[in-house]
Amino acid sequence: MDSSKQLSVRQFFEEEAGELRLTLLSDPMELGREIPQKNLHRPGLALAGYLELFTHDRIQVLGNTEISYLRSLSADQCRLAFERVFGLEIPCLVITNSNEPVPPMMELAAAAGVPVFQSELSTTELYHLLSDYLDDFFAPTETRHASLVDVYGTGLLLTGKSGIGKSEVALDLVERGHRLVADDVVIVTRKADRILMGQGNDLLQHMMEIRGLGILDVRQIYGIHAVRMQKRVEMIVELCLWEERGSIDRTGLDQETATILGLELPLIRLPIFPGKNITVICETLALNHHLKVYGYDSSQELNRRLLKTMEDRRRLRSYLRRDPE
Amino acid sequence: MTRELQVENELGIHARPAQHIVKIASRYKADFFIVKDGHRINGKSILGVLMLAAEQGSTVLLEADGEGATDLLDELEQLFQDRFYES
Repeated sequence: MDSSKQLSVRQFFEEEAGELRLTLLSDPMELGREIPQKNLHRPGLALAGYLELFTHDRIQVLGNTEISYLRSLSADQCRLAFERVFGLEIPCLVITNSNEPVPPMMELAAAAGVPVFQSELSTTELYHLLSDYLDDFFAPTETRHASLVDVYGTGLLLTGKSGIGKSEVALDLVERGHRLVADDVVIVTRKADRILMGQGNDLLQHMMEIRGLGILDVRQIYGIHAVRMQKRVEMIVELCLWEERGSIDRTGLDQETATILGLELPLIRLPIFPGKNITVICETLALNHHLKVYGYDSSQELNRRLLKTMEDRRRLRSYLRRDPE
Repeated sequence: MTRELQVENELGIHARPAQHIVKIASRYKADFFIVKDGHRINGKSILGVLMLAAEQGSTVLLEADGEGATDLLDELEQLFQDRFYES
């Protein structure tokens, strides 16, 4: 998790008040606290007095169950319940279903400096949307020196040394109708621990530098259909010089991989040389990737045919050897 | 310079053995061809090698010419003897 990311309760409220239908019940001055992590918690057991393993550093959500429990308590018991819970540092409290806070709650929250919100949403809806927002906010990110292009719906991350021609390939792909996500600086975010999402920098957007031309705005030149805001990164294409190619896979049976933010992606190392059309190769890569997703692998198919042919021949050979005629 | 070798591994020269052959051949400057059943293919071409469909028990003729030809044939002979690292 990226510990450098700081989310204050104020920022959370400003960004999500509409989406989560939040009303602030506390003094607006009390929004300085930090939300340190993405998980949520329902403090039922903590209110009942069991404080072991109480994950107090999460946003605390009071649903119908908690409120109905609190209402069942006497004023003194209720006060005691909140004194215990507020004794630990809590980022903020959210009451769902437009429930009203129980009497001593606001007074004790104000004393402890805990902001309290009320939401019109049900607990389940709130959990869903709030988790989504916090997941996004706390998702680990990494900046890559690369270009990201959506080629026939596959997100290709073009990497390689500076000056090797990543931008030129990206421009060529755009020219052929594919869509640029970002050039030069790609911000990769790991979403839901399963996928990698790539996007550009807000300031650079779809600007591109082509050596000899300078800075170009791809969206202005090619139009809105030539760009997109974000795209899942599905494949890494590393451009390298022919002399530095190392060992190149000739069949496609051995898929190399590379790791970004702990997730493995297929890696294709493409040696470049004059006369080699990297753009067409990138398009073919994307299409072949689709074929594989649909269950057809060209190299495996050819090998299957080959093995069958050889097996037939071998059977014939051993039959003829044993045949006295 | 030629050498005749027999394919001994059970599955014959399928994609993986073919890849080994082509990788070794590509490291040499020498021209390299494989002859089988009247086909003469460039031994540095993966599809060419696959096309031969050289099954277990068949023999292939390797032809190498130029810089490093002997070393290339020695290395490939070893590869055939090692049954392409298969059974």
